[in-house]
Amino acid sequence: MAHAAHHAPVADKTELPPERSDIGLLRPDRTTGLLDWLTTVDHKKIGILYGAFAMLFFLLGGVEALAIRTQLAAPENAFISARTYNQMFTMHGTTMIFLGVMPLSAAFFNFLVPLQIGARDVAFPRLNAFSLWTFVFGALALNASWVFEVGHLAGWFRDFAWYQSLTYTDFAPANGWFSYAPLSGTFGQADAALHAPRFTGVGTDFWIIGIQILGVASLAASFNFIVTILNMRAPGMTMMRLPVFTWMTLVTAFLIIFAFPAITVALIQLMFDRTFGANFFNPTNGGQPILWQHLFWIFGHPEVYILVLPAMGIVSEILPTFSKKPLFGYPIIVFSGAVIGFLGFAVWSHHMFTTGLGPIPTAAFSLLTMAIAVPTGVKIFNWIGTIWGGRVRFTPPMVLSLGFIWMFMLGGFSGIMHSAAPADAQQQDTYFVVAHFHYVLVGGVLLGLMAGLYFWFPKIFGRMPNATVAYVASGLVIFGFNMAFGPMHYLGLAGQPRRTHTYQAGYGWEDWNLVATIGAFVLGIGVFLAFANLAWTAFRGRRCESDPWDARTLEWSLPSPVPAYNFAQTPVVATRDAWFAHKHGGPKVGALDDGGPAGVHMPSQSWMPLLASAGFLIVGLAVPMMAMGIPHAGWAVVSGLGVLFLGIWLWALEGPGGYQLVTPAATPSPAPAPAEAAR
Amino acid sequence: MSDHAAAAPTSTGIDHKKLIMWLFLASDCMFFGTLISTHLLYRKLYPTGFTDAEGHERFIQNLFDIELTSFSTFILLMSSFLMALAVSAMHKGQVASFRRNVLGVIAFGLVFLGCQVYEFTHFWQKGLTIQNSVFGSTFYVLTGTHGTHVAIGVLWLILLYFYSFTGRLRGHGGALDVEVAGLYWHFVDIVWIIIFTVVYLVEYLGPNGIWGAGLPLS
Repeated sequence: MAHAAHHAPVADKTELPPERSDIGLLRPDRTTGLLDWLTTVDHKKIGILYGAFAMLFFLLGGVEALAIRTQLAAPENAFISARTYNQMFTMHGTTMIFLGVMPLSAAFFNFLVPLQIGARDVAFPRLNAFSLWTFVFGALALNASWVFEVGHLAGWFRDFAWYQSLTYTDFAPANGWFSYAPLSGTFGQADAALHAPRFTGVGTDFWIIGIQILGVASLAASFNFIVTILNMRAPGMTMMRLPVFTWMTLVTAFLIIFAFPAITVALIQLMFDRTFGANFFNPTNGGQPILWQHLFWIFGHPEVYILVLPAMGIVSEILPTFSKKPLFGYPIIVFSGAVIGFLGFAVWSHHMFTTGLGPIPTAAFSLLTMAIAVPTGVKIFNWIGTIWGGRVRFTPPMVLSLGFIWMFMLGGFSGIMHSAAPADAQQQDTYFVVAHFHYVLVGGVLLGLMAGLYFWFPKIFGRMPNATVAYVASGLVIFGFNMAFGPMHYLGLAGQPRRTHTYQAGYGWEDWNLVATIGAFVLGIGVFLAFANLAWTAFRGRRCESDPWDARTLEWSLPSPVPAYNFAQTPVVATRDAWFAHKHGGPKVGALDDGGPAGVHMPSQSWMPLLASAGFLIVGLAVPMMAMGIPHAGWAVVSGLGVLFLGIWLWALEGPGGYQLVTPAATPSPAPAPAEAAR
Repeated sequence: MSDHAAAAPTSTGIDHKKLIMWLFLASDCMFFGTLISTHLLYRKLYPTGFTDAEGHERFIQNLFDIELTSFSTFILLMSSFLMALAVSAMHKGQVASFRRNVLGVIAFGLVFLGCQVYEFTHFWQKGLTIQNSVFGSTFYVLTGTHGTHVAIGVLWLILLYFYSFTGRLRGHGGALDVEVAGLYWHFVDIVWIIIFTVVYLVEYLGPNGIWGAGLPLS
């Protein structure tokens, strides 16, 4: 772009006169401090912010889980009310999925993908910042419901007319993470104010707008990552040389862009039902609540793979590193991931076997669900094949990865049991299902993500986490997890229903519920210890060299922490696992003749993504307040949309900006890259 | 929007902006697919359309003004033709021709939106509301969402028209910006062809259609 040529290359942007955007506004240029973190467009810093926020929300979701388990520790317990219990399991599920696991995966996408493909940033750095802040503000809007709930319980609103006129006063979402209609919707005829009677209060409105905003963040990030992976690969980095984590990121991003529109439309329809008296799911006027289930699960089942594929990618990087072997059957792993992505869209009705779909659809979805176990099983065999005959080194990430394989497999086994519709009819809405998906999502995804954190933390911060604490934490997590969720298989088959805030004594459920609760606390302590260890490491940990694991992919060829420009010279790749081959007598990683004193193009920081996202925060708070009947809240919605459009407009007007950053000069490559590298 | 040099070669040879627009449109296919599916599922379930405030069963075909909708469909199709001319002009650097054609697209887009506003008002006066029937809900939300897409497109093209005077649209980057807007515009047009077919035209087939029997002319 023409902007790049205005100034001489510099080692730090603050050496330049302050940059003005195309419309004359001053652009932020600090590379340290709060200003930098708020306006950064650097994928590494955005990744760190994603990770930090995700871990905070993860702990919040964990506290909600412990409240649930404490309530269930004994029969007819009164630790929390039924209403609070409903809010806890709803927000626990929603928080863990949308605010914990997805953003933590996004943290890895952000930090790793450009480094693994040999790029200097993502394709749209400001859009990336927009995704981050939209996620943060959507999460805040969703959790603001707790503030209103506390205010309600404490009686803050008693004197207000809008509060006195509320029919339902549940302020935090309480419909479950799936918010099934008609419970979440309306019934009867709409009145003159276009409001039909509802079953639930504004908690549902918080949930609808919160998920809608989070969806925007996920979609924007996914468009960005697909373009980055397809378009910004270094010379020689063909698709079949991509690291598996990058491949799984690509598949996940495609799943997101095809699955999220379904929930977006479903949320719009539900919002129209609640706000304008429409009839999409209103049974009184002919709406079919079953449609909500279909639309939700057309999104909801791919969502399961959106959660698990990144963790599979992480494990596929860790196992070869610590087995000193290439990944066994790389193409098969990649194709299995893609097949899981395709089949993920064809199994949604297995969540609905008990709704009376009829024998043909039930049989078809049964078969397809069994079929999706095949690519998953292929991956597990490939991981075992990778370890087989390798020189295995035990490190915290390796232990967590092995735990991932074992625990995820157990979750897969109970999943196959669910695929048989007659068996599923017995298991529906029991703790057996809770056991199944926690084995997949905690035993699978959480262990995988923790393994990734311990594996890449030395790269992100240049500091090594304490291994002893990491082993203790991993042990507590794996042991506590099995103690918490193992017994739920039995409890479920013994008939204990899900989402029920208490149970009577005498069904034989007491002992195992107490065991599960103790296990949940062990798990909670383990996760907290693991995260605390990481937080300590980020600031005070022991410094380590740039490639402490003798790892395989390009990010390990860079110094730790990684400099702002990533690669001083664009790498030229000649083989899969290029960095490992480079170190151990294979083809060398070459370098293009760019960077050096001439500098590389760096994008300028910007306030506009933050401003546009702030519009979403206003909308996210104002829409439920409008539903509460708070005066003038409608104008707050309009002003929030105004801030959003103002942000986007100024963003378009300010121009991309940018400057030339000096990088270290090229060192002569020991061997020229082979001719095939240019392919 | 891309902060990296737009002219830099990409691995696929496709510009970042064009690729992200294709991905957005792929995603938007699922978006409209879900809305259209909702409409068709309910349409099959409730063949008579809706019941008005007086409790009379009303047939959609009597409500539709197919001549008007055909006209607005034709206008939207022709706007795509002008959009193609505008993109072509920008690629050749003929800014004056670009301005003429893009003004035509904007005008046709506004005519289409005007027809939709008229149609909504007309239907509403005839008793079809978003509250009184499932058909009303699916019809207004589906066609309204499409109308919102058109309105965003018109706003975008107006900005591009003004940018053609400020110098922002010079060179390869400018032609690319116009082409990306063109992709969006053509997509919105294609979606309307599908909506026009499955929401309007199919109502004229079958036993209740104007070529069938049994349509009460109320």
